[in-house]
Amino acid sequence: MPKNKSSALVLFCIVSLSSCLLLAQVQRPGEYPRGEKPSPMMNFFVTSEPIGDGGNLGGLAGADAHCQALATAVGAGNRTWHAYLSTQARPGQPAVNARDRIGKGPWYNFKGEMIAQDLAHLHGDTMELAHQGNNLNKLTGLTEKGQIVPGLYDYSDPHDNDWDYVKTTRFSTRHEMLTGTQTDGTAYTDGLDHTCDNWTSNKSPAPGASNGSLNAADGRPNAQIGFPDRNGGGSGSWNSAHGTRGCAQADLPKTHGVGLFYCFSIY
Amino acid sequence: MTRPRAYVVVLCTLMLSCCLMLAQQNAPNTQGVTPPPNSPTPTPARMTFFVSSVGLGKGGDLGGLAGADAHCQALAAAVGAGGHTWHAYLSTQARPGQPAVNARDRIGTGPWFNWSFAQLGAPQNAVISADLAELHGDTLVQAQRGSNLFKQSARNEHGQIIHGIGDTPPIQHEILTGSKWDGRAYMDNADHTCNNWTSSSTGSAQVGHSDRIGNGSSWNSSNGTKGCSQADLESTGSAGLFYCFAIN
Repeated sequence: MPKNKSSALVLFCIVSLSSCLLLAQVQRPGEYPRGEKPSPMMNFFVTSEPIGDGGNLGGLAGADAHCQALATAVGAGNRTWHAYLSTQARPGQPAVNARDRIGKGPWYNFKGEMIAQDLAHLHGDTMELAHQGNNLNKLTGLTEKGQIVPGLYDYSDPHDNDWDYVKTTRFSTRHEMLTGTQTDGTAYTDGLDHTCDNWTSNKSPAPGASNGSLNAADGRPNAQIGFPDRNGGGSGSWNSAHGTRGCAQADLPKTHGVGLFYCFSIY
Repeated sequence: MTRPRAYVVVLCTLMLSCCLMLAQQNAPNTQGVTPPPNSPTPTPARMTFFVSSVGLGKGGDLGGLAGADAHCQALAAAVGAGGHTWHAYLSTQARPGQPAVNARDRIGTGPWFNWSFAQLGAPQNAVISADLAELHGDTLVQAQRGSNLFKQSARNEHGQIIHGIGDTPPIQHEILTGSKWDGRAYMDNADHTCNNWTSSSTGSAQVGHSDRIGNGSSWNSSNGTKGCSQADLESTGSAGLFYCFAIN
C-alpha cells in the first residue's frame, strides 16, 4: 500500500474519531456531567431527588432540610438553602410567599449561569420583565449534581406515569416542580388546596373526585407546579402552570412530576 | 509496516463503533410524535397554527407580507390544510404614506390549534392559545404565565418539532416576527423587519424563540438578527422560518 494512502486512512480515522467524541460529549437529560463540580457561585438548583412521600415534604422545614442536605452532599452546604414553596393561610397562621423566602439574588446554577438578576426579573414583576422572561430554561434549570431535568419526549417512555417504574430510573420525564404559588410568587388566597395542605399531605383524592382535572377543586388534595424547561401543558410557566392529580407520591407521575422542587440560597 | 497498519485499522474500527453507539444515544427526539394505536383519523383541516417547515431561502426577503402569506398558504395546502386562509405572523414598520402593520392584527381571533390537535384528536399541548390576549400576555398574570406556545407545541405543518438549543444542528429556533412583545410593530427608526421583508442584505429582523430559550424566554420578541442575508440568519440559529396562523 502506498504511504500516502495509509496516512490518509489514519487522518480519516482521527477526524471521524474526534467528531464522534464531540457528539458523545452532549449531556443527555438525567445524566451526570463528567468530572464537573458545582460552581462555587451556585445558589440555585432543582432537587435531583424527591423526598418521596408525595406532597408531604414535612412542611416548609422538611423541604428546606432536603435542599440543605442535597447541597451539603455536593459541597455547597456552607450556604443556607430554602425551598421555593408557598404555604396558604390557616387560622392563626399567615400565608408564606415563596418569593419572600429566597433572598434577593442574583441566582446562579450549577455551571455558574445566571438564572435571574433579582426577584423582579425572576417573577416578571413588570409587563416588560414578564414578557422578556427570566433565564431559567431546560439547559439552565440544573440539579445540584448538574443534571438536565428530563422533560417531555426526552425518553418517550410509556411507563413514565407509573411511580413504581419511575422510582427505579433517573431517565424519565420529571419536569414538574412543586411550588404552590401563583405566577407572581405569592401564595394562593382562595379556600382551595394548592399546597398539599401546606406540604403535609400525601393523600389521593376520593375516587372520582379528580375527574382528570388539573385545577384546584373543592376538597381535592392538589399542588401547583411549574416547569424548569418551560415546556408543558397549561402554560410554559416556570412556577405556576397547573395542579396535580393528587398528593400521593403515585399521583405525581400521572402528569410527569415526581415531587422535585426549586432550592435557592438566601444570601 | 503491514502489522502496525492492521492494528490501526482494527483499533479505529473498534473506537468508531463505540463512539457511534455513544453518539446514537444523544440523538434528540425531534421528530413528530407517532400517532398512538386507535387514534382518530388524521384531520389536518383542523390545524390552525404551524411553524413553517422551511424558509424562503433568501434571508429576510420574503417578498413582503404577501410573499410570506403565500408561503404559509402553500405549505398548508401541501398537507391538506389549504381550506383555511393563512397569514404569516409578521409586522411591518411605517413608511411615508404606508402605515405600520401589527402581526397580532393579522391572525384572526383564535383559538389556534397545532398539528397535534389536527392529527391526534386533542392530546396535551394542542391548543396554542385561546385568544390574542393569552397569546401575547396582555395582562401581567397572562404575561407571567406565558401561552401554550413552547417547544413541544410549536410544530411545523408536518408535526415536527423545530430544532432548538441542545438539539442536533442546524438549530432553527429563531423565528422571524419583526414584532415587539405585544405583537405590534416597532415605531422607532431602526430596522426590525429586514426592510419590511424585502431585504436579503442589510438590516435586521426581530425574532422570537420557538423553544423559548434565548435572551429570556419570549416566543415572539427576543433579539434582532445580525443582518438579513440567509447566512446572517443561519449564523445565529435561524432558518428564516416564521409562524403561520389561520385567520378563519
